[in-house]
Amino acid sequence: MAALGGRGRAAAALLRRGPGTAAGPGAAPRRHRHKEKWASTAPRIASTRLALHHFDTSYSLRLGALWPSVRAGLLCEQKYGALLNNFAAADHVPQELEPLNAADFVSEASQKAQQWQRGAAVGAVARGCQEGSGEGRTVMQAEMMAQAEMMAQAEMSPPLGASISSKIKCYTFPRGDITRFRPARPDSLGLLDYYLMDAASLLPVLALNVQPGDFVLDLCAAPGGKTLALLQTGFCGHLAANDISISRTKRLYQILHSYVPREVRDTVSVTSYDGRDWDQVKGGTFHKGAGAGSVLLQVLVDVPCTTDRHSATEEDNNIFHKRRTKERQMLPMLQLQLLMAGILAAKPGAEVVYSTCSLSPLQNECVVERALDIAEAQFNISIHVEDLSHFRTLFQETFSFFSDCRLGELVLPHLTANFGPMYFCKLRRM
Amino acid sequence: MAALALLPARALLSGAGRALLPARALPAGPGPCPRRGCGEAAALRAAGFSQEQARRLLALQPRLGPEQREAAAAQLLLLGLSAEAALALLERSPALLRLPTERLRERAEELRRLGLDGGRLERAVRRSPQLLHVPRKRLRAAVRLLRERCLFTAEQLREVLGTCPAVLQEEPRTLHHQFQYAYFRMGVQQKEMVKARLFQTPFAELRNRHIFLERRGLYETPHKGQTQISNPKLKDILQLPEEDFLASLAYSTPEEYEVFKKLLAREEEEKEEEDVDALYTEDDDDLDSGGSETARE
Repeated sequence: MAALGGRGRAAAALLRRGPGTAAGPGAAPRRHRHKEKWASTAPRIASTRLALHHFDTSYSLRLGALWPSVRAGLLCEQKYGALLNNFAAADHVPQELEPLNAADFVSEASQKAQQWQRGAAVGAVARGCQEGSGEGRTVMQAEMMAQAEMMAQAEMSPPLGASISSKIKCYTFPRGDITRFRPARPDSLGLLDYYLMDAASLLPVLALNVQPGDFVLDLCAAPGGKTLALLQTGFCGHLAANDISISRTKRLYQILHSYVPREVRDTVSVTSYDGRDWDQVKGGTFHKGAGAGSVLLQVLVDVPCTTDRHSATEEDNNIFHKRRTKERQMLPMLQLQLLMAGILAAKPGAEVVYSTCSLSPLQNECVVERALDIAEAQFNISIHVEDLSHFRTLFQETFSFFSDCRLGELVLPHLTANFGPMYFCKLRRM
Repeated sequence: MAALALLPARALLSGAGRALLPARALPAGPGPCPRRGCGEAAALRAAGFSQEQARRLLALQPRLGPEQREAAAAQLLLLGLSAEAALALLERSPALLRLPTERLRERAEELRRLGLDGGRLERAVRRSPQLLHVPRKRLRAAVRLLRERCLFTAEQLREVLGTCPAVLQEEPRTLHHQFQYAYFRMGVQQKEMVKARLFQTPFAELRNRHIFLERRGLYETPHKGQTQISNPKLKDILQLPEEDFLASLAYSTPEEYEVFKKLLAREEEEKEEEDVDALYTEDDDDLDSGGSETARE
């Protein structure tokens, strides 16, 4: 086959493959390229290939006809959102981004929500007046009223309006637009103007619905995107940011120093405990500091997971590597333990949001369901699963949602809206 | 006239040409016998062109000597082109008239030997009129590539040339690259490449459609000749119009595909930039990444 091989360099370049292909040694994406010949543990089958194979088997069943689009989304460049830094002098950012067609999807959703509330009020009156005169309504009106009623029934309208109008602002380019944001720039005080992140990561934070003065616990905070978003609400009376990994916590510190002024940083306490032990380690002292009974504790449990997008494209530190098989198989157990710790840390009436960046039901709904059972059976804690289905409608312009989750919501990667995967579920401790 | 028509066209025309006065550049007049010389038109008509066709021929490259024009036209007829086809070719590519007749004859001979004769040649030159301009060296290089390096059989080669005559005009390197992509990257054999008319599709489109399918999990590079899924046929991938490709092979939408193409183009652009950078910063040590071939640039 020497004849077919052709020139070495050209053939090698041809055979060098992008994401999602059978990769042999030497085919790592350039970003994390290291000298292959010095790496003693280069696997014979790439971890990314193992990951994709695993996903093909499990997700095609779950997602059916949606899977090919999701798969292509995972393997193509992801889309970012620009989380505005309210602590920096960043007024120039909207002026800069709006001419490029980027828009703040949070405020857009907020406006939608307000329209519905108004619609619901009108609808209630109209219903009373228009009993029996069905032909009077146009299709549009009927639809609006139906949506508004759904909203009203969700019992979320007032808090939803409030949370969406919290000060979080995040710009994204429209569907199908693949423009990239320029890197963040510091203002005169050295604080960066925005933070580039997967916009879907904001949804768990929006779901948590932090109220002014709330004490918030971020149980697995590193590297810190969601932590920063929590601070952007401006409502955190105190934020406990914990992560078991010291090296990743360093990144969290960097983010805090680059984005947040000193007086706000002082309201954040960064710790490095194993989140599963939270209640034993911190529970008592934390509540003491808070002033017993006066503040709720909101908890965000953004657990370690198979990080599907990363696993499908990056060889480095890939959890599907053979030597991490045990760790990967233990993930659901770890996730359950972390969620239980979060539930136990929350005071009655407080809310817990569980989130992952995986598509796997074993790491998503199954973990939540199991936690609900255990809380009930072993701790006599009853928990209400909050309905977040209105998120799907409010944010449908920006994200692609899966409509068939038993509990919680799932953002699916799609080439026209390549955010996610992001699963999130909101629980209220009764 | 009938007896005359049996003589080789060239002999007839050159004889006739010598008898004529040099032609003058004049637009064809409305009359049946322009001042330039009914002789020339007559010669063309004798060769097989109609009155109207002869007139159109005479309008091309007016400064050209009649001998040259008639010889070129005759040569094309000899090749098996119909009068109309020859005329159409010359109108599209009047520079052909300036080719030394001998060269034209050689070129045509070469093409005929490759299996492009009669109707095939006509279709081929109709599709790519530049074909007859291609230097013999280039023709041979392309053929050598396809036979010796890509290992197409003679029959397959004839088919390829018949359906994608433009391969003869391509840079051998480009051809080879496209072949290698289909062979190694997609795991397609020569037989299928021929059926799919591989070289009719621009490389970018081939790659777009293939990678789109691959990332969706609908195409798999064979490993040791085997795949876990059954890949769609190359013929279907390339020959289907885009809407049908999307609907029945990729199970996708035009919207999605548009975004994909843009993303892939950007990926490729950035990969090339990286390659260029790497070229200037690599040690010799790293040259043998990925390939066992020792050919050095």
